[in-house]
Amino acid sequence: MIAYVLRRLALAIPTLFGIVVLVFLLLHLAPGSPASAVGSGESGRRVSAAAREEMRRLYGLDRPLPERFARWIGRVARLDLGDSFVDRRPVSARIREALPATLALNGLALFFTLAIGIPIGVAAGGRPEGPFDRTSAIVLFALYSMPVFWAALLLQTLLSVKLGWLPLYGVSSDPPPTGLAGVADRLAHLALPVTCLTYASLAFFARLVRAGVVEARSQDYVTAALARGVSRRGALWRHAFRNALLPLITLLGLLLPGLLSGSVIVERIFAWPGLGRLYFDSILSRDYPVVLGLSLIGAVATLAATLAADLAYAFADPRVREGS
Amino acid sequence: MIRRLPGSGRIALAVVLLLWIVAAVSPFFRGRAAEIRLGERLQPPSLVHPFGTDDLGRDLAARVVVATPISLAIGLVAAAMSLAVGFGVGGAAGYLGGAADVVLSRVIEVVLCFPVLFLLLALAAFLPPSPATVVLAIGLTTWPADARYARAEILKAKSLDYARAAKAAGATPARILLRHLLPNALPPLLVSAAFGVSWAILAEAALSFLGVGLPAPAASWGGILSAAPAYIEEAWWIALFPGLALFATVSAYNLLAEGLRQATTNPE
Amino acid sequence: MKIRRLLAILVLAIACRAKEDAPRPAAGARPDPTAAPAPALGFLDESREGTPVEGGVLRRRLIGEPATLNAVLQSGLPEQQVLQYVSRQLVDFNPLLALVGNLAQRWTVSDDGLEYRFFLQPDAVWEDGTPVTSADAVFTIRRIVDSKVPSPVFKPLFESLEVIEAIDPTSFRTRFRDRDAFHAYAFALPLLPAHRFEGQPFLKARDNRAPLANGPYRVAKWKTQQSIELERNPLWKGAAGHFDRIVFRIVPENSVAYRALVEGDLDETWIDEPLKERSASDPRFQSCCRVVEFYNLDYNYIGLNNRSPLFSDARVRRAMTMLLDRPAIVKSLYAGSARIISGPWAPDSPAYDASVTPLPFDPHGAGELLDRAGWHDSNGNGTRDRAGKEFEFELLVSAGSNAGRQIDEIFAAELLRAGVRARIRPLEWATFIERVDSGAYEAATLGWAAADPNPDPFPYWHSSQFPPRGLNSSYFSDPAADRLMEDARHELDPEKRRQIYHRLHRVFREDPPVVFIANATQKYAFRRRVHGLVTSPLGLFGFSPGPLSWWGTPDEDVAATRK
Repeated sequence: MIAYVLRRLALAIPTLFGIVVLVFLLLHLAPGSPASAVGSGESGRRVSAAAREEMRRLYGLDRPLPERFARWIGRVARLDLGDSFVDRRPVSARIREALPATLALNGLALFFTLAIGIPIGVAAGGRPEGPFDRTSAIVLFALYSMPVFWAALLLQTLLSVKLGWLPLYGVSSDPPPTGLAGVADRLAHLALPVTCLTYASLAFFARLVRAGVVEARSQDYVTAALARGVSRRGALWRHAFRNALLPLITLLGLLLPGLLSGSVIVERIFAWPGLGRLYFDSILSRDYPVVLGLSLIGAVATLAATLAADLAYAFADPRVREGS
Repeated sequence: MIRRLPGSGRIALAVVLLLWIVAAVSPFFRGRAAEIRLGERLQPPSLVHPFGTDDLGRDLAARVVVATPISLAIGLVAAAMSLAVGFGVGGAAGYLGGAADVVLSRVIEVVLCFPVLFLLLALAAFLPPSPATVVLAIGLTTWPADARYARAEILKAKSLDYARAAKAAGATPARILLRHLLPNALPPLLVSAAFGVSWAILAEAALSFLGVGLPAPAASWGGILSAAPAYIEEAWWIALFPGLALFATVSAYNLLAEGLRQATTNPE
Repeated sequence: MKIRRLLAILVLAIACRAKEDAPRPAAGARPDPTAAPAPALGFLDESREGTPVEGGVLRRRLIGEPATLNAVLQSGLPEQQVLQYVSRQLVDFNPLLALVGNLAQRWTVSDDGLEYRFFLQPDAVWEDGTPVTSADAVFTIRRIVDSKVPSPVFKPLFESLEVIEAIDPTSFRTRFRDRDAFHAYAFALPLLPAHRFEGQPFLKARDNRAPLANGPYRVAKWKTQQSIELERNPLWKGAAGHFDRIVFRIVPENSVAYRALVEGDLDETWIDEPLKERSASDPRFQSCCRVVEFYNLDYNYIGLNNRSPLFSDARVRRAMTMLLDRPAIVKSLYAGSARIISGPWAPDSPAYDASVTPLPFDPHGAGELLDRAGWHDSNGNGTRDRAGKEFEFELLVSAGSNAGRQIDEIFAAELLRAGVRARIRPLEWATFIERVDSGAYEAATLGWAAADPNPDPFPYWHSSQFPPRGLNSSYFSDPAADRLMEDARHELDPEKRRQIYHRLHRVFREDPPVVFIANATQKYAFRRRVHGLVTSPLGLFGFSPGPLSWWGTPDEDVAATRK
């Protein structure tokens, strides 16, 4: 087992390297440069191509690609992500500023996905084809099929514009209230974005839990437990659910990075100052150091999650271990 | 198999067929969908315009109908591409094993962990915004999931008795694949395909909404929706109807997929 | 089944509300769009109305976050908006587009037009008490021309600078290599305190985030991605601003800013045409706020690459203009609040000759022009062709531009009827501008935003200014136009210069380099508590006094208008 773990970790390194090289290549081969992104949209001061060339030299963009890559890797090895092209502050500072907002959003989304999804899935799987299972199936399918931006628009229109119950955008009101009112204010601002981020993964997750429970239920050990006199509920939670857990961990591993990238649309619609919005804006303004830094962090996070899922799966199913 | 579909699955199949019929007759509506009438901008739903008009006075119902084949086709082709590449790579990795498996698994992992948004924006910058680009973008970002699934299934199947027996009997690898492994992988393949289509349709809508999908005026539902936020308060119909069409299509494919899964696994 | 019923109720509910809010026709004058440009929509000058109330907080909106508050490094509007309160410029533009002194009390121009001398106000001080001297001016301008410093806004203006040196602590001289009537305009820039940048790398200096003020306000707080707060500068001795504090909130989305304004979280925001229409029928807006609308010097156009075989013929370019239904666009997309233009200036620019009428919308006439230029549909496929080449091209547009896309779709529909096929291609901004600035395009939907009243068309339309050296990305080349542009540059007498520009305007009508569209109004929404507004062809800011003349009634009014 230990050998397997070490092997998987070792194999993750070439993957990480591959991702980083690809991102670097694509970024620098894409048309446009930090100079052309200056004054995006409305500003009229256009920069001549000659001036843009000068800016390229300033940013070190006229050096050959391998040299730029080597420099960047060297800096990353020293845990230095460089400075943003846009405001010349350290990339790590900009990421650190955007992190809490994204963590709050995604953390709550993940929490609700699990907190609501698991009970629904267990209840539905406990009595398949029963009334709860049928109704929940339709509701969950509806949720799963709704595009995020559409749901966000409808929710904004209904709950914010027409009814005025919830704020339209942002992290908090300005100036932010303190104390208990402040907490309530922040929660109110979190309500719509978290809902939009949660509902789809919740539906997906609940259906999977249900499927896992249904399958586990029919296994022998559950019948045996029931025969032993374990209560129905005890059998459901302690046995069926436990064994349905492993494929779910696998899926959690894929869900987590999905949440991080899926929050881009939500962050844009709700003006949420998180990593998703930072990433999108940095790509548009060709802020290479920030894009590279965020891509690296994202790739590491995704890899870690995938690895964790793989290891959990391998722990349970020896066939997978042997196959790789 | 259709007989084994549960009730909801049959309804879903009917909806999907209806959508295809709409797609087939949509060329008749192309003229109406392209007619710009600046004097009739942003009109609410009425008898003449059942879905209202958009920001250039075009009939929204006609536009939604004309967008149907585009959205459906992109969804299908992207899903097919994702499936083909995914099952190809994943199946090969699982079947070949050894060094080939290690390398292919790394490739799968790289694409899986690659920042999706970045790839999509880069593609949008490089390539002309055509249906082909969108299909490529979606296909490239979704095949790894299929690949991992395929690899796991093939690994499981490889160790099963009938595969071992066939190998012992001297069957060639191709024969084993085609005759034994693939038929058993087919049902989950169909299920995966159906889910893939609905995911691809949603992904294309998201791309168009972000502004990196298909160019106007050959818009898909997502493309029509991208103009909605600017008029959200005065022309709610621009947001509602294309979104409903999207929602109905995606739900139908999801229900169909779930029905297929039930139909193919229940008797076991 | 449950979900379907829920949806039906939702749809019904929204439909019922929609009926109540049916749009009513917008009030206000609608200039006739088909005639030659009408007189300007009045410019506001409320600076002398009423008695200013001192104190209070002004909450303004920024469309994006300033990348820096270093005046030399600034690159966008948000930076300019904040710096206007904090940093004084050497010279300013007044509402009538004339240059007036600020930090520089007066300036002189040598007879040969090459040397400019500036004499600074002797008692101006920085926030830390040190005096503003010519050393600061020399430092600032030297940084602008420094090849290691990216200064996109000012570097092009000082390209032909030869010498800059201080004469004494309150005066300095500059010498340019060429004689240009508009060199003085380059000095409408804020100064940097030289002593604060000693011993620090210029690009990463602390002052770039916390600038030293020499104006009526200073930077109090900067909450990244959220807001920038300004408070009064205690060392300021001149005419003070009326507000005690200015809070700039960063709100990228227009509709969100509109909502914030109505809710009372903002006092001012820029709005676009759809929002203006919405405000006209929104009772909450009408009771709390007002729209301020005026013409500025911006205009939009569809750029044509003159080097392309499609657009090298002036007749074809005239036909293109005649195929764009500008009156209908003005009437429906701009609700009448735009003026069709016939040359590369807005009607309020001194260079514009109002007697030069725009080419009419005339598809028939355009067809004839295309025929005479040799474009016929010889193979019956619906598209014109000539010598085997089909008349089809890619029309680029910035992906974020809703208005651009709408104009393009109208244009493409009409072009199709005339046998020309245009493929609209949205590109994200950086890619878009790169293609345009390097000339790698056939047609592109562009806008011109004037940052100062300089009407000099030389950098954009003279044949010596092709990319990469210059900005003539249309590759326009007309000898008559070239000569007139050169003459105008060297002519120091303003009235004679105007005459030259008017002759040039006539050349542009006969030989249009691109498809000129219209000069649309700038629209801002204000809460009624803000008074003392002054508008000018330069906009709401970017001139003196600009927003410094605004004052506001107390914040209690805000609570009263909240529901």
